[in-house]
Amino acid sequence: MQSFDDKLNSILLNVEKPARYVGGEWNTPDMTKHREGDFCFCFPEVYEIGMSNLGVAILYDIINKEPGFVAERCYAPWHDMGEEMRKHDISLFSLETRKPLKDFTVVGFSVGFELLYTNVLYMFDLAGIPFRAKDRDESYPIMLAGGPCSVNPAPFADFFDVIVCGEGEVADLAILKIVTEGKKQGLSKSEILARIKNVQGAYVPALHKDGETVVKAVIPDFENAPYPEHPLVPNIEAVHDRATVELYRGCASGCRFCQAGFWYRPIRERSAERCVALAKEMVESAGFDEISLCSLSTSDYTGLEQLEEGLSAFCKEKNVNLSLPSLRISSFKPEMAKDVKKNSLTFAPEAGTQRLRDVINKNVSEEEIEKIAVAFEAGYESIKLYFMMGLPTETDEDLDGIVEICKKLKWLYYQKRHKRGLNISVSCAVFIPKPCTPFQWEAQISLEEMHRRQMYLRERLRAVKGVSFSYHGAETSVLEGALARGDEKLSYVVEKAYKLGAKFDCWTEYFKWDVWQKAFAECGLKMEDCVGAIDTDKALPWDFIDTGVSKKYLLAQRNLAYQGITTKNCREGCNGCGANKLGRCTIC
Amino acid sequence: MLVLKYEKTARACFISHIDLLKHTERTIRRAEIPVKFSNGYSPHALLFFSAPLALGVSSKAEYLAIDADMSASELLARYNTSCAEGLKASKVFECSKNPNLQGKVVASDYIFPIKYHDIDLSNGFEIEYVRKGETKKEEVGSKIFAVKNVDGKLCLCLATGNTNLRPDRLLGMLNAMFGANMKATDIVKVAQYFKVDDRLIEADEYLDNLE
Repeated sequence: MQSFDDKLNSILLNVEKPARYVGGEWNTPDMTKHREGDFCFCFPEVYEIGMSNLGVAILYDIINKEPGFVAERCYAPWHDMGEEMRKHDISLFSLETRKPLKDFTVVGFSVGFELLYTNVLYMFDLAGIPFRAKDRDESYPIMLAGGPCSVNPAPFADFFDVIVCGEGEVADLAILKIVTEGKKQGLSKSEILARIKNVQGAYVPALHKDGETVVKAVIPDFENAPYPEHPLVPNIEAVHDRATVELYRGCASGCRFCQAGFWYRPIRERSAERCVALAKEMVESAGFDEISLCSLSTSDYTGLEQLEEGLSAFCKEKNVNLSLPSLRISSFKPEMAKDVKKNSLTFAPEAGTQRLRDVINKNVSEEEIEKIAVAFEAGYESIKLYFMMGLPTETDEDLDGIVEICKKLKWLYYQKRHKRGLNISVSCAVFIPKPCTPFQWEAQISLEEMHRRQMYLRERLRAVKGVSFSYHGAETSVLEGALARGDEKLSYVVEKAYKLGAKFDCWTEYFKWDVWQKAFAECGLKMEDCVGAIDTDKALPWDFIDTGVSKKYLLAQRNLAYQGITTKNCREGCNGCGANKLGRCTIC
Repeated sequence: MLVLKYEKTARACFISHIDLLKHTERTIRRAEIPVKFSNGYSPHALLFFSAPLALGVSSKAEYLAIDADMSASELLARYNTSCAEGLKASKVFECSKNPNLQGKVVASDYIFPIKYHDIDLSNGFEIEYVRKGETKKEEVGSKIFAVKNVDGKLCLCLATGNTNLRPDRLLGMLNAMFGANMKATDIVKVAQYFKVDDRLIEADEYLDNLE
């Protein structure tokens, strides 16, 4: 009989980029060690995207460092591979030891984006795992979900046995140990789940009672938290193919639309010494030629200068490039760009006028935008600007403001460089009201209005030479909005959409708007109803999660937004959001 | 200039040539091999590879020229402790100049795991293969330089480099001729040849004697 490896080899020759499915990456931990229990990390996107995810890399590393426990990985097979696997009756398997997902102790999905929900089901399907937790008995692994979408798990809660709300660093390993122990003792699934319920951050839908609260999991000691100093080196070029050092968690800016900014509180910084040591270790162990600094707003990091000093000689000696992403205008310093290749600057004013920036609490003033001139002097010749449209209280005047900013930058460039030729690329996303933000009750603008505003801006930017304009798909934004704040009913829509053929919804060429509309209709729902304004008195599907930031604080922030009053950066003094009850804010 | 002879087997046979370039650069970095860099705006490591191997096909004889000042034995040891599974090196050659692997290698031996048969090439050899969804026919007799018997297995010496014949493209024809069911992953490249004065010289021999 043909062996599994033989069978796999022959189908690998028929698919695009077979290296996605073979594993064997450099730095793969020892897979032959004694295993009491094992965990398969699943990322519902293709290899190149999944391998770029820092969260999964951190959690994978933690479990593999634990004696007796092993973590493996699995990514969503691309369309061609999925078809071949079905044709040859191959069940979804892990990359490291090619073990079927079904045979793991725990299978955990990292769900980072609403449009990945159908891919989760696609992977369940390929693994031969029933979609709903209630349809799975003891013979299946405990199915777990985590990641940024756990802010509102309602739309996918029925698919999973456990959802880790918050940071998985502590919870995942604890849960794996409980399940391993429980299985050894012959406990039933519900007995095991009852034990898991005691882990901080663990939401067990089947055992959850009305009125119960799940407290978000937070790692207590971020400074010394485990970190993948020996990261896996991707087989094929990943989207973020470099050593990534996480400087801090949380964000001090408090932009009112930003879910990550509220969800990842309290703010915890890692010392520059440790970041430098981690970066060096990662480069040396993996051989990367680039280091990137990761956080919600890197230029706000207290130890940035110290970090750059600590790395600059090392980078020069090793021919390693240090890249600085997500800069905020207000903290741009020309010294920072000194040793960096001057490819393109990235700034995110988010809104075109001061009025609207005050509403969303993006504390960037006109004067600060003028400071970009310093970057032009430093040698930059192209700039990327990120904006959002459809923000609460937005009018056409605010969109005109985006055009004005472009004109102003061109003028500043001319003043400093005495030539034309500045390249500006404007990217405009659509505002999506997200849970756990002061704007969680807001309405999203209608699809027609999105199209109108996109065309409005496109026409006006076309008149400005040297500006290119790109915008997010309006349809995907409506869907994202609907799923982000949805309740349990949405799980039926997701299931229906998958059955009707939706998957890889993040890929414009595979996004099927008609399928989603049909799925909503067949479930008796209207997508428009899911993106409307929500009354502030109404109970929200994610109310049971204690994120540390109280609903009262969010409401107060919302009121300030409507008055156009800004809230100071947390670094200037505590605003009393409440998150420090879950752990000390290291910048307070 | 140092030239490394390495394998590309097991899972590594699914890594494309373009990804292999990056892999190798990283291996060199991990091994702390003092490779020289180009002087341009985006400096890159001075590494020179032999011709790309078809995806899925394994090899025991890939070559890589490295511009670095270090002893051959140390290079070999350091490379082997830092390379991924399936990419181990077996030998290293010291050369006074860049052997121009891509330009001067003209042929390679591939072993097909079927019993040796003497294939008559006097009337040419037509193959049929699928490329980008289209079935193509091609006369490749002139690109098959020799039919050899290696330990009772069929071994073909095929054109490599500027004039190239991918071994996996012969599979359809060979499987039909001999009732076999071989696939690309069953083929192994075992040698490469330089062309010197119209003579084919096995790469190891050539590199050993390169002034």
